[in-house]
Amino acid sequence: MNILTLFIFIPALFGFLILALPDGLKQTFKYITLTATLIQLALGIYLYLNFKTGAEFAGINHEQQFQFVQKLPWISLNMGNAGRMQVDYFVGVDGISVLMLVMTAVVMVIAVLASWEIKQNLKGFFALFLMLDMAVAGVFCALDFFLFYLFYELMLLPLYFLIGMWGGVRREYAAIKFFLYTLFGSVFMLLIMVGLYLSVTDPGTGNHTFNLISMMNPANYTQGSVFSLASHQTLFGVPARVLGFVVIFIAFAIKVPVVPLHTWLPDAHVEAPTPVSIILAGVLLKVGGYGIIRICMGIFPEVAVSGAFWIGLLGVISIIYGALNALAQRDLKRLIAYSSVSHMGFVLLGLASLTAEGVSGAMMQMVSHGFLSSMLFFLVGIIYDRVHDRDIYNFRGLATTMPQYTTFVMIAFFASLGLPGFSAFVAEAFTLAGTFKSDLVPHWMAVCGSIGILLSAAYFLWTLQRMFFGKELLKGGDAWKQALTGLKIREKLALFPLAVLALALGVMPSLVFGKINDSVLALIEFTKHMVR
Amino acid sequence: MTSITPHIDSVVVTCTLLAAGLPLGASAVNFLLPGKTGRASGWLSVLAILGSLILAGIVFSKVWNAGEWSVQQAWFTIGSTTVYAGLLFNNLSALMLLLVSAIALPVHIYSTAYIKAAEQNRYFTYLSFFCFSMLALVVVNNLVMLYAFWELVGFSSYLLIGFWFTRDGAVKANKKAFIMNRIGDIGLLSAIIILFVQYHTFDLTLLFGQNGLVFNSFMRNGLWMAPAHQLPAVWQCIAFGGVFLAVAAKSAQFPLHTWLPDAMEGPTSVSALIHAATMVAAGVFLLGRVYPLFNTTELDILAIIGCFTAFLAATIALTQNDLKRILAYSTISQLGYMIMAMGIDAYASSLFHLVTHAFFKCLLFLCAGVIIHEVQHIKDEHQLDIDPQNILYMGGLRKKMPITFMATVVGCLALVGIPLTSGYLSKDGILIQAFEWAESRAWYYEILPVGILLTSALTAFYVARLIFKVFFGEFKLKEIFPDIHLHISDGSWAYRLPLILLALCSLFPLFSWNPLLYEHAWLFKGFLPVDYLVRENVYHAIVPALINIISVFVVYWAYAVYLQQRKLVFSQKSFLFKLSYHHWYIDTFYQQVVVKAVVAFSQALFWFDRQVIDGLIHQLTRAGKLLAGMSAWADRYIIDGFLLLITQVVKGIGSFFRSFQGGKVQYYLYSMLILMLTLFIIKLLV
Repeated sequence: MNILTLFIFIPALFGFLILALPDGLKQTFKYITLTATLIQLALGIYLYLNFKTGAEFAGINHEQQFQFVQKLPWISLNMGNAGRMQVDYFVGVDGISVLMLVMTAVVMVIAVLASWEIKQNLKGFFALFLMLDMAVAGVFCALDFFLFYLFYELMLLPLYFLIGMWGGVRREYAAIKFFLYTLFGSVFMLLIMVGLYLSVTDPGTGNHTFNLISMMNPANYTQGSVFSLASHQTLFGVPARVLGFVVIFIAFAIKVPVVPLHTWLPDAHVEAPTPVSIILAGVLLKVGGYGIIRICMGIFPEVAVSGAFWIGLLGVISIIYGALNALAQRDLKRLIAYSSVSHMGFVLLGLASLTAEGVSGAMMQMVSHGFLSSMLFFLVGIIYDRVHDRDIYNFRGLATTMPQYTTFVMIAFFASLGLPGFSAFVAEAFTLAGTFKSDLVPHWMAVCGSIGILLSAAYFLWTLQRMFFGKELLKGGDAWKQALTGLKIREKLALFPLAVLALALGVMPSLVFGKINDSVLALIEFTKHMVR
Repeated sequence: MTSITPHIDSVVVTCTLLAAGLPLGASAVNFLLPGKTGRASGWLSVLAILGSLILAGIVFSKVWNAGEWSVQQAWFTIGSTTVYAGLLFNNLSALMLLLVSAIALPVHIYSTAYIKAAEQNRYFTYLSFFCFSMLALVVVNNLVMLYAFWELVGFSSYLLIGFWFTRDGAVKANKKAFIMNRIGDIGLLSAIIILFVQYHTFDLTLLFGQNGLVFNSFMRNGLWMAPAHQLPAVWQCIAFGGVFLAVAAKSAQFPLHTWLPDAMEGPTSVSALIHAATMVAAGVFLLGRVYPLFNTTELDILAIIGCFTAFLAATIALTQNDLKRILAYSTISQLGYMIMAMGIDAYASSLFHLVTHAFFKCLLFLCAGVIIHEVQHIKDEHQLDIDPQNILYMGGLRKKMPITFMATVVGCLALVGIPLTSGYLSKDGILIQAFEWAESRAWYYEILPVGILLTSALTAFYVARLIFKVFFGEFKLKEIFPDIHLHISDGSWAYRLPLILLALCSLFPLFSWNPLLYEHAWLFKGFLPVDYLVRENVYHAIVPALINIISVFVVYWAYAVYLQQRKLVFSQKSFLFKLSYHHWYIDTFYQQVVVKAVVAFSQALFWFDRQVIDGLIHQLTRAGKLLAGMSAWADRYIIDGFLLLITQVVKGIGSFFRSFQGGKVQYYLYSMLILMLTLFIIKLLV
């Protein structure tokens, strides 16, 4: 059995198990889910350790360089004159995706640990949770556009219900907003996907194909087809390939999220239950970044190069706009949501630079933000579970009440604001270095991006000052003081590994860079080659 | 890699790693042990720093005047760039390593008595971590690690300023300190990135070493040319601006100096180590490291800013009543001297002053700590509502605390620059070179040496004021509250020993056997360029004499003002007094204008986010709903209506015809008749 296939479908298997079990066993569901994610984590670690590096394993646009590949014919329809419709079950990883998978596995375990507080309709919750897990894992493995799209859309459904049914007061509003936003992006992506399918033929069989890797090779495009590099077709007066890039970019930009397509995120985060916030921030935002690398830049590299300025500009705007908005928040969870917008802006900026430093920095930022945002949302969840309040001004002097909790908060905050020694520092510093080095984006963007680092210190430290330091003063008085108990073992078990990971990646960045370097270099080389 | 003396001494490397590692180990042990260890954690940290001092001594003895060399190991590779972790050994590293551990040891001993046993675990966790960051900062060999430790130093300073985290003042102060330092950090980060892109390396020796990359780059046609890359010339200025911001933030120079006085909210022992002697000197150290980067204009800017900051801070120190704030402004002022010295090409004097200042300013802070500790004691004992740091409540303490008094006097004399002290050697060196520097330039450059001379006079005045108010006259608290009992003293040996040690280090013998000539100091000689020529001119005699005459006069003036109560000073209502008392309103401006503007702007953006972007989304939703409503209406009334109409019509026609088939014979006859008649009529007509 292929390990990636196992990785993808283990959650589904356990999900069916939960559905099959009677409601009387509902207390076991969380343990079943935990087991599923732990198995997944073990597989993830196996993948990480056995992932081979070297220029001959770079992946990107070379099918044979991908690892742990499984390719099975899946849908094969004879369409008469239109040839054969060929959809493969095609999974595999390269340096770009293997880290996303490992990070996903870690975040999923943390999210299950945060699900202990879910009290109602456990069967539904955990079944949907596992379905989401499967879909996310599938997105990062899929190398067939059709398969990718299937998993991509499959993520939406469980999320919609998870937010809409287990969320806060305005959960329905948030759920539908999230759903429509994302759907808006992906529906148009479908059109481009079909366009690409009709333009690309498999060099082996001569059939049209959804194979992502084939789509990266200009030789596979049929003469005169709509997305062919040579034919310079236009759609609605816009060059077809530019339009294709823009449409797919918008779909992923909504996920990242990029200002001004970000307003679903604060609402979704604020209303979602803690585990869903963790998955949303920790993993789903990375689907956006990953999609931009794999699909936008992979299939339309020349547009990514010519549009680098605009992508970079969006990144800088996201960094500063998100940070300033975070400064204006009084709901802790919303603050962290906006800080995500700011931090993900670095990803976009780094990708726009198309330099090894910038893209590696962006990858590092995705991994780092995956761990750190999970930690931050977990921490917010702890306090919300205890007193059902998150307003910054309703708390003061929490360091006296909950010293251990405060230690973790400080670790998470300082790691997020880019303190050296933690992962975010390496990520942000090299993103900016790559941006400055790049010929594609102007130098001032690097300098402006660094203002985001300054603002992140401002909003995190201001929050620390207002909520955690000073004389103890709680809105709920003694009742709250009773409720605000110290950390439970389960909570420490979730927080401690995240803190250690953030520290480990900061001290030994080669844990990430060592695995991705060849793929990043190949990607840079590939984009350069395509432009020439 | 590159090393001018190719030998790599593994003993030195091991010693250096251990010297920096021991405090880290102590910090980690303290952090991991539960909080009940009490004084044991204090002694653990003392032992660690003692070890560091000994090791630093070994390193110093082997590295001083032994050329420059470095060792490094690959840390990680990103793209095709390998980032190294390494150590750089030259005079500056060796000296700073020794200085930091030498200052830190007395402060550690002092802290074991100064900090309550219950708080020592946390305190020494932070303090040892600070020592680690600072020791590592001075020995690393590349810009990435330099930046990392640069920021860790700021972070540990944040922890220590806010050590008493239930005090609002302390947590506001540490936030301010960190954010202002962050402004410097992004400056430094930008500068590092620019240098990296321009020279493709982070290595300090390759960049700034003799005949290094920076030496081999030049300006041509508005381009900044490096051996392998070129950038528009403006980026060289921006790199300088970034370094300057970093220096200004760490070394508390105008306009980023306002965090340092607030940082006095931390424990006094912390102020002594971090905010007087070591961390604030990091800015000067950074200038020392990247010195070759600057061109003459940029050096002039440094000189001007340094001189202005020295003057600004000295004027503010004149009127402050908080003992620690006076010392804090004095620190800013002295750091201004060092920055100015860098700017006027008195590199050696700048670093010399850095070292001497570290000893005597640390001494002064520790003395202040003893005094504050004793006053706090009286306050707690008698439940008084006073500020224990306010010098207006003090007076006449010289008889109660003789050792503290003597130590303070030594520190103050060194600060003023009186002969026989270390301060005389280093400070007068700067002044003499300032006059020499201005001589070769246009007349208006004379403002700088004159300004710095004036600052020296101001220094003498505020120092004298401090001494007189605290140690002479009558104890004011006793006058206000006559029934309090005083049993104050110099405190335990843990207070006295550090004071005595530091006081001895503030005298000349440590630096030079000749108490009058700074050129003879070994430390000064260690930083001179190879081709240095001792200049013989009139300034060497005039300037020190002038300063001492002025100082004596000013001290006498202060004596007349504060002890003989003669009115020889500005009125407290005058504009100048208010300007000084309110720190030139700089901090007020930052709080009221800059901070408020940023917060207001962020609120406005949030409004924009909610109302405009989300508003647009909501409008879209509404439009969608409207469209849906319209199509529902159209569906119901137009499409369905049309179908309904057709059915109605068919039904009507059907009904009409059905009505003919009523089953009555008369109707059939009638209809036949009507039909026939109609046919006939049509026939007739057609």
